[in-house]
Formats: sequence, structure tokens, C-alpha cells
Amino acid sequence: MDERATSAETLRLTGVRKSYGIGTPVEVEVLHGIDLVLRRGEFAALIGPSGSGKTTLLNVIGLLDQPSAGTIVVAGQDAGTLEDGEATRLRGRAIGFIFQYHHLLPAFTALENVMMPILASRGRADDAMRATAALLLDRVGLAPWRDHKTSDISGGQQQRVAIARSLAMNPALVLADEPSGNLDTENADAVFDLMRDVNVASATTFLIVTHDPRLARRCDRILELVDGRLVSDRVNRDVIRRG
Amino acid sequence: MNPLGFFETVVAFRFMREGLTQTLLIVFGVALGAGVIIFMSALLAGLQANIIRRTLNFQAPIQVLAPDQVSRSLRRDDTAAIASRVQPRSQQLRSLDQWQKVRAGIERMPDVVSVTPVVAGPGFARRGEATKAVSIVGIDPDSYVRVIALPEKIVAGGYDVGPTDIVIGSELARDLGTEVGDKLSLASAGGSAATLVVAGVFDFGNQGVNERTVYVALRTAQSLLDLAGGATSLDVKVRDPFAAETIARDIRETGDLRVDSWISTNAQFFSAMSAQILANTLIRIFVGITVALGIASVLVVSVVQKSKEIGILRAMGTGRAQVLRVFLIQGGFMGLIGAFLGSLLAWGFLMLWRGIARNPDGSPLFVIVIEPSLFAIACVGAAFVGILAAVVPARRAARLDPAVAIHG
Repeated sequence: MDERATSAETLRLTGVRKSYGIGTPVEVEVLHGIDLVLRRGEFAALIGPSGSGKTTLLNVIGLLDQPSAGTIVVAGQDAGTLEDGEATRLRGRAIGFIFQYHHLLPAFTALENVMMPILASRGRADDAMRATAALLLDRVGLAPWRDHKTSDISGGQQQRVAIARSLAMNPALVLADEPSGNLDTENADAVFDLMRDVNVASATTFLIVTHDPRLARRCDRILELVDGRLVSDRVNRDVIRRG
Repeated sequence: MNPLGFFETVVAFRFMREGLTQTLLIVFGVALGAGVIIFMSALLAGLQANIIRRTLNFQAPIQVLAPDQVSRSLRRDDTAAIASRVQPRSQQLRSLDQWQKVRAGIERMPDVVSVTPVVAGPGFARRGEATKAVSIVGIDPDSYVRVIALPEKIVAGGYDVGPTDIVIGSELARDLGTEVGDKLSLASAGGSAATLVVAGVFDFGNQGVNERTVYVALRTAQSLLDLAGGATSLDVKVRDPFAAETIARDIRETGDLRVDSWISTNAQFFSAMSAQILANTLIRIFVGITVALGIASVLVVSVVQKSKEIGILRAMGTGRAQVLRVFLIQGGFMGLIGAFLGSLLAWGFLMLWRGIARNPDGSPLFVIVIEPSLFAIACVGAAFVGILAAVVPARRAARLDPAVAIHG
């Protein structure tokens, strides 16, 4: 795992460790040297028991948290060498997030929520931005709800808005933390189908944290994290494409 | 999405709209604070301007006089005393030495507006059996009017100060039973007398001045007071009345002159006014601090309430500086809009004050000039205070760890 990142690689982790309380008597290492490569267009599941470090790993990959050791290369750029501002810009440009509880901005409409990453990046709203956001909402089947406040739509619809938002900057990598964890089976399948459609259509790489083995089986690759170590990394040959 | 469309303004305005009750409460608080500051400032400025105007109605900002005469020792030997007590010399009425030259020198000074010669001395006004002690003031009508607005104070007759004319105060006119066109005899303490026609009656709104001051032509006063070609003082008008003391000091340095500014001759009034200004400034400072604390506390609460949203925005690529600006904009806007509403409130109260604060004759108690600049300063100042108050919560928001904020 020591070769240089290639253009086909969306993500490369080398010896990533994460500790909390460094230098104190209660120092705890949560991630113990993770090596991982995700290539363009991969649709991977990250599974593991609670407390295994899945969310921590996702935060580190998403540049929301700094690793204690190791290197992270996202979209060909070594994140370890970046200042906070540069890392933020890289995150905005190359990584999309989907959270369990959608985490939409309640003060904004569905369309505005989707526009927000582009607006944060460009600084000022324009018509092209609106058109992109409208197109994405249309793609997730929410065109009629574009001007609704996100509190006025259902949980499944909210998560679809979150998916559209995660794609606003056309990122190389989408990190989804239990994206269907808060949904019923029907909506969970719909959300998963949607992510898979995006993955197939635009070759966007997805890393999806899930507790649900049924949903994990629908991914091309299954990574298993136990006690902060990647204990299993296998290609799912019996992948189920649709829910 | 938003009138301006900039990321920071879009988010700031939505956050404020989302917490509308909080926003309205603090805006109302700022409005009250700004309103109190503006109302007090306008009231105090009006009161001060009124008092100053009344004082400078009949008193020149600076008066240049001949130096006091002092007793001099006949012997030059300072080591020997020739008497146990030196009696102060009585002051004679005398002219300012080479007053034309002194006047020309003062007129060249940059902050001086106008200089006029005056011949003033004691005398008596007599009509029939009535005699009143008066202060004779001989003036050059053309230049005097540029220092003291005497024509504006004429309540009967006109501002005609010819060689045989006299303009007297309303109280004196009543005491002597004279009207415009009547003749009265004016005599100096030295015994010279002249019969003059009452050309005008003035009212300065000051009983002492109205009772004792009479205006005659400069030459008439020179003749009556035996000061041919002389002037006992030069009255000086300056651009800024509050700079009078400084200018007086500059004039004093030009020669052997006694120079009195209206500030030194009204020291008690100025001391009271300084105390009033200090009290007003303190009140303004404390109100300002209260407003700032109000804005800061609302924004601190807002940062706590919105920490998850801030985390999400950070995850989506929003920089720390952008988050900082979102909260600074909120602080500035709440200060600005609050001060604007406060301006309207203060304007309303000032109008109300104008309506109710009146003299028994119905005239305003004093004139309040509502300066638009006061409102502009209040709005800009409040916006600045708002931004300043937002610095701490904004920095706190910008420093939020997005991972903790989202999952916290």
C-alpha cells in the first residue's frame, strides 16, 4: 500500500491513526493504522460493531478531524500538508456528506439546501447555481418540493435532499454515515437505490457506513472495522443492485 | 434567496429570521438604547446651544481691553521695602492704545470672524424726573452687527444708531416711560451730556442688560466719555465659540493687552455644563455597553443553538472566516436596524417634547435642532458596537469543531 496515488484513486489512507487525549493518562487510540484505497466509481460499505471507530474514520477521511498519524490523499491531494482553509476548500470541492439525520438547514428550502455548498464555495448566488440545484432535486425526484422548507417534507424526502446536496459540487467521494438508519425499509431501499444510480451514472465513489447487513450486501465492496482495525476488505461478488 | 445573495448575508439573515423572537427582542432593546442616547444628546445639545446663544446674544465671545493699571514703586531697589502695604490703583476709563492697529492684527487671525470697536462707560439716562444709572455702549453699527445680533433683538423702532440716536433696553424704556421717537438726556459720570432720540428698543431676554445698557454711536460715546478717537475695548467674534479661550490666549500673546473670553467670564456656567456633558457621556457609555452586552448574549445563545448548522456548513466547505462573518453581519445588522428604529423613536419623542415643553406665552422653552447627522452617527455607531459585540460569539462559532458540532 505504499505506491503513489494514481488518478483512478479517489482516496488513499496510509497508516492512519487517531488518538484522543494525547499526552494525558487517558490517551485512547481509536484507529490503529488504517490502510485503504478507494478507486473512482467504487460503491463500498463500511460495517462494524458500535464503537469500532466507523464514525471517527469517516470524520478523518472527510477532513473534519485530523489524524494523529498517517497520510490521507483525497482526489490526488495530500490533505496532511494543507492548512485549515485549504483543507476546508478541498472538503467542499471533493467530498460530499450524507448524515443519518439528514442534517439539513431548517431555515432554508430544499432548493436552497442543495445550493448551499456551491454558494459557500463561490460566495454569491447566481442562476447557474439555482439551475444545478434544481436539476439535482429533479434527479432525486423532489422537483415539486424544491421551494418547501425541509421541515415540511417526509424523512425519506429529507434524506433525498441530503443526497442531492452531497452531489452539488460534483464531488469525487461521497461519505454516507448510516444514510438509511433513520428510515423505514421502503425508504431505506429507495435512498440506497438513489445512491447507487448516482454512483453508476457519474462514477462517484461512495463509502457508506451501515449497520444493516442487508444494505451492505448491496455494495460492491465490504470493509469491516473492528476495534479500530480493518479486519476484512472483500469484494462482494453477490451484489444485489436494486432493493 | 436573499436581497444581496452573498453567502454570509444569506445565512446571517436566515439565522436571524429563524430566531425571529430573539432578533426582534434585541433589536427592540437596541432601539430603546439608541433612542435614549439620541434623545438625550439632542436635548442636551439644544439646551446648551440655547444657553450659549442667550449668553452670546449680548456678550462678544472675546473682549480685548487695555491692561489694568498697576501701582509702581518709585524706587527700583527690590530689596528694600518702602511701605508695608501697596494700595491697588483705581482703574480709570481709558482707551486701548492704538486700537486700530490691534484690531487689524486680530482680524488677520484665522479663526476670527469679525472685530468691532466699542466705547463703554458709566452714565445716567434722564427723562423728566426719572434718572437711571446706565452703561453707555458706543458702537460702530456696521461692524457691531457682525459680532452681536442686535438688530434681531429690536422689539420697537429700528437698529438706527446715528450721532443723535440711542437704542435702549425694554426695561429701561419702561422705567423711564419712553417710547420710540422720545428724547432723553444721556450724561456721563464725568458730567458731559447729550440729548438723544430713542430710535429703537431691544429685548435680549436678560433683565440686567435690558435695564442698564444703552447703545449710541461710537463718536457720541467718545464725546460723552471724553475719549476722543478712542475705544475702550474690541469685541471679537470667532468661528467656534468653544475655541474662544485658545484664541484669547493667542491674542494675549500679541501684546500688552487684557483679553477676556466668554468662557473665562462665565466659568461657573461652563463648569456646570462640563458636569452635564460628563454625566451625559457616562450615561451614553453605559447604555452603549448594555446594548453591546444584549447583542453579544443573543449571539452567544444563537451560536449554541446553531452549532449543528454551523458544523454542517463547515462540513460543506464553509471556511472559518465565512462563519465569523455570518455572526459579525448579524451583530452589525441588529445594531444598525435597532439604531434606525431608535432614531425614529427619538425623533417622535423630540417632536412630543417640542409640543409640550413651552413657555407660558406658548413659545418653545428652547429650540431643539434635530440634526440628521446625529441619527447617522447613532446608526453607524450602533452598527459598529453590534459588530464589536459579535466578535466573541463569532470567533466561538468559527472555532467550532465541525465533527463535534455535527455529532455532538
